[in-house]
Amino acid sequence: MSTSTSTQPAAGPGRAAARNAANPGPGPSFFRVLNSEFIKFRTLLSTMILLASTAVVMVGFGALSAWGTGQFADQAASDPGAAEAIASQGGDLAVSVPTSGAAFAQLILGSLGVLLMSSEFTTGMARSTFAAVPKRLPAFIAKLVVVVVSAFVVTAVSTYVAGLVSVPILDNFGLKLDLASSQSVKLLLVTGGYVAAVAAIGMALGTLLRNSAGGIMALVGLFFVAPIAFQLIPGEFFEEARKYLPGNTITPLTAVEHVPDTLEVWQAALVLGAWVVVPVVLAMILLKKRDV
Amino acid sequence: MIEAEGLTKVYGDKTAVGGVSFTVQAGQVTGFLGPNGAGKSTTMRMIMGLDTPTAGTVTVNGVPFARHAAPLREIGALLDAKAVHTSRSAYNHLLAMAATHSIPRKRVHEVIDMTGLAEVARKKVKGFSLGMGQRLGIAAALLGDPQTIILDEPVNGLDPEGVVWVRNLVKYLASEGRTVFLSSHLMSEMALTADHLIVIGRGKIIADAPIKDIITGKGHSRTRVRSDQPDRLMHVLAGTGVSVELQDHELLEVTGLDPRQIARSALDNQVLIYELTPLQASLEEAYMELTKDEVEYHSLITTGAPVSAQSGGN
Ligand SMILES: Nc1ncnc2c1ncn2[C@@H]1O[C@H](COP(=O)(O)OP(=O)(O)O)[C@@H](O)[C@H]1O
Ligand SMILES: [Mg+2]
Repeated sequence: MSTSTSTQPAAGPGRAAARNAANPGPGPSFFRVLNSEFIKFRTLLSTMILLASTAVVMVGFGALSAWGTGQFADQAASDPGAAEAIASQGGDLAVSVPTSGAAFAQLILGSLGVLLMSSEFTTGMARSTFAAVPKRLPAFIAKLVVVVVSAFVVTAVSTYVAGLVSVPILDNFGLKLDLASSQSVKLLLVTGGYVAAVAAIGMALGTLLRNSAGGIMALVGLFFVAPIAFQLIPGEFFEEARKYLPGNTITPLTAVEHVPDTLEVWQAALVLGAWVVVPVVLAMILLKKRDV
Repeated sequence: MIEAEGLTKVYGDKTAVGGVSFTVQAGQVTGFLGPNGAGKSTTMRMIMGLDTPTAGTVTVNGVPFARHAAPLREIGALLDAKAVHTSRSAYNHLLAMAATHSIPRKRVHEVIDMTGLAEVARKKVKGFSLGMGQRLGIAAALLGDPQTIILDEPVNGLDPEGVVWVRNLVKYLASEGRTVFLSSHLMSEMALTADHLIVIGRGKIIADAPIKDIITGKGHSRTRVRSDQPDRLMHVLAGTGVSVELQDHELLEVTGLDPRQIARSALDNQVLIYELTPLQASLEEAYMELTKDEVEYHSLITTGAPVSAQSGGN
C-alpha cells in the first residue's frame, strides 16, 4: 500500500488504481465479525448498565434470600408446606440461595438479547452491519455468541458472588452453604445456561419483530404471563402444556430429585433446547430473506 | 463499475423501481437525479444488497455486492437514512465497522480526520447535527478505501462549506479512477458536481447522458419562432416528438426541433419567419422538462425546496 496523506481526501493518489483487484484485502471472516460484534457490545453504555444491574440484583437477592431462608428454616419444623419446598433440593435449603435472583437475571438478560438486535433495526445500524457482512448470518451468529456467552458469564459470576455473600448470613442461622458442593456447582452452571438460553430466545424475538417493545413484551409474555395464565385457565390441556413452557424447565433441570408435575430432566433439556433452536432458526431464515 | 439490468423493486402494490438498466462508469462522478420518491434510495439499497430486487440484477465490478470477498473494500456507501446506533460514539462505530475487515485503527483515525470529525469523534452520535451525521456516513463509506463509492443525498443537511467539501471530495475520488455514484433531488447540485447524469422519475430512467448534453437540452431544445402565418407553420411543424405552442399573436415556441430543421420546413413550405431564437434551457428547466410527466410530488419541484421529509420507510 502506498503512503497516505491526511490532507488529501482519500488515502493518497493512485492508490485505487494500484490496488490489486483480485485481492483487495481481508474480508469479513467469522472471527473478525465476532470481534466487531464484541466491540459493538462493549461500546454501548446501556448494555453495560443492564449487565451491572443483573449482577446487583443477583447478589442482592442472594443476600436477601439467605436472610429469608434462615428465618424460614426456623419455622420449617412447624410448617408442612415449607418442608415440601425443601424437599425439591434434597432437603438442602441453603443450596439454592445464590440463584434466587435468577428470575430477574432472566428478564434483564433476555431483554438485553432482544434489544441488541431490535436496536440494529430501530436505529438503522443494521444497514451498516449487513453492508459490511452481506451474507448476514455470520453477523447474526457472532452476535448470538456474544449474547449467550455474556449472559452465561454474568449469571454464573453473579451467582458465585451471591453465594460468597450468603455464606456468612446463612451461618448466622446455623445453615451451611458449601459453594463447592456438586449441587452448588450444578445450580450455577445450569442457571447460567438457562439464562443464556433465555437471552438467545430474546435475540431471536428481537430479530423477528425488529421492535424493542414488541420483543420484550413477547419475552415477558412467554416467561411470566403464560405460566400464570396456563395455571388459571382450567382444563387438563393447559395443566399439561404448562410443563412445556420454557420458564418451567428450570425446576426439573436444577432439582436434585424429580419434582411432581414437572418434566423429566432429559425432557426439560430437550424442550428448552427446542425453545431456543426453533426461534433462532426461524430468525436466521427470515433475516437472510427479508430486506434490511 | 456498477451495472444494473432490469432492476425492479415492488413493495406491496407500489413499484418503487420499475426495471431500470444503467451503467455507472469508473473515473467520473455519476449523478443520480430524481425528485423525492423517484426510487433513488431503493436502487442504492439494492446495489448494497440490503434490499433484494423483485426482478433484475445489479453488479459491482461484475459481481453482486454480497459475493465480494471483502465488500467494504470494494464499495463504500452513505445511505440516505442514518445507519448508526446513536448511543455509540462515532469513533466506536467506525472501529466496529473496521473490525469486520481487519481495517487498521490508523485508517479509522484517517477517515475521521478527513471528514473533519476529530473533535466530536468520541461523542455519542445522538447529539450530532444532520451535517455531522452525513460526515460520519461519508467516513464510514471511505473506511475500506473502496474502488466504488455510493453516496445517497450526501449534501443533505450540510452547511455551505460542507457542500463544497463533498463536491471536491467526490471529484477527487473520481479523478483517482474510482466509481462515484451520487444521488440528489437538486439539479443545481448535480450541475456542479456530476460528469454524467442518470435521471430517474417514478422508478423509470428518464435520461442517461453526459451532463453537458442534458444542460444544453439536447433533444429537448426549444426555439422561439415568429411568423406571419403561425397557424400554417404549426401545421407544417407538427410531428412526433414535436410540440408547438402558440404563445402570442404570431409567436410560437417549438420544442423537439432545432432551428435549422424549423427553417428548412418553413422554406420548403413557403412560410415567412422573421424570428428564430434558440432558447437555452437552464438546468433547472431541463430537469423540470425531463421529469414533468414523471414527478410524484409536484409541490416539491415547483418550490424547489430541499424537502427532507420522506414519503415512506427508507
Ligand atoms: N421499505 C419500503 N416499503 C414500502 N415502500 C417503500 C419502501 N421504501 C421505499 N418505498 C417507496 O418507494 C418509492 C421510492 O422511494 P425511494 O427509493 O426512497 O425514493 P427516493 O430516494 O428517490 O426519494 C417511494 O414511493 C417510497 O414511498
Ligand atoms: Mg432517498
